[in-house]
Amino acid sequence: MSQILPGTKTTRMELLRLKNRKRLAERGHNLLKEKRDSLIMEFFNAIAEIKEAREQVEEALSIAFSALTQAKMIMGPSRVVEFAQASKTKADLSINTRSMMGVRVPVLSLDHQEPKLPYSLPDSSVKLDTMSTKFCEALKAIIRLAEVESTVKRLALEIERTKRRVSALENVVIPRLDNTVRFVKLALEEREREDFFRIKMIRDRITE
Amino acid sequence: MSSDKIAVIGDRDTVTGFQMAGVTDISTPSNPEETRNSLIQYFRDPRMGLIIITEPLAVEVEDTILELSEAPIPVILLIPDRQGATGAYESVLKELIRRAVGIEIHV
Repeated sequence: MSQILPGTKTTRMELLRLKNRKRLAERGHNLLKEKRDSLIMEFFNAIAEIKEAREQVEEALSIAFSALTQAKMIMGPSRVVEFAQASKTKADLSINTRSMMGVRVPVLSLDHQEPKLPYSLPDSSVKLDTMSTKFCEALKAIIRLAEVESTVKRLALEIERTKRRVSALENVVIPRLDNTVRFVKLALEEREREDFFRIKMIRDRITE
Repeated sequence: MSSDKIAVIGDRDTVTGFQMAGVTDISTPSNPEETRNSLIQYFRDPRMGLIIITEPLAVEVEDTILELSEAPIPVILLIPDRQGATGAYESVLKELIRRAVGIEIHV
């Protein structure tokens, strides 16, 4: 770990440049640490949201399934399947992204298009319509859940990446720069002492 | 990217219900191999935005789902079927959380 950067020249210019780089690295380190902390905070908020959305989905689905059972009881399973296949409702998903601290998270929205009923009213039971609306509601809840879940996923990936960067700076880049700065400083001081000594020797020789 | 499709993989009841709600891409696989195939087929569709799969089917192909979940789009979502929730979705999430924060968290 305690290496110095290869190819460093022991000059004053290099020392100044190294010091600047070290300052930059430290600033970046602090910023990344703050970013990581706030990402983790967001992450926990999103997890709480997932739990809530998940409960909503489960509730909506259980209502929808009981409506389905009722429709099947009244109309018979194969008729329900038949009507479902004839359904002209269209559900389109639109995906936008918004940025949350530099992480692009998706925003999902559903647009339902319900043209006029494709099946005949006398042939179908009212339960079929109930079931249709219940499933639409369930789908909406599911889409909210999908949004939150993929937000959490992306946040998790970003946190992982940020953590890695923070620790790389902390454990590799900054110590290495530190060592290089020390090395250059020592070399410069050594050279100064040599120069000083040389001048003294020359003075002694001249004054002899 | 403006309008993306939704796909449902599940048992007949689930699929019927979502057909009523307007989902057009559906599949009712009868064994894990078919589940995997339809999952991958939907995943490869560039217009696909969301894949909904029921928990009992998802358990059989959990490794594939974990692998495909790496990609941001399409979102793969596990939902309970008519038998109710089994908690299978947690294992997918937990793995992500464990990697991100370094500890296990109960959602």
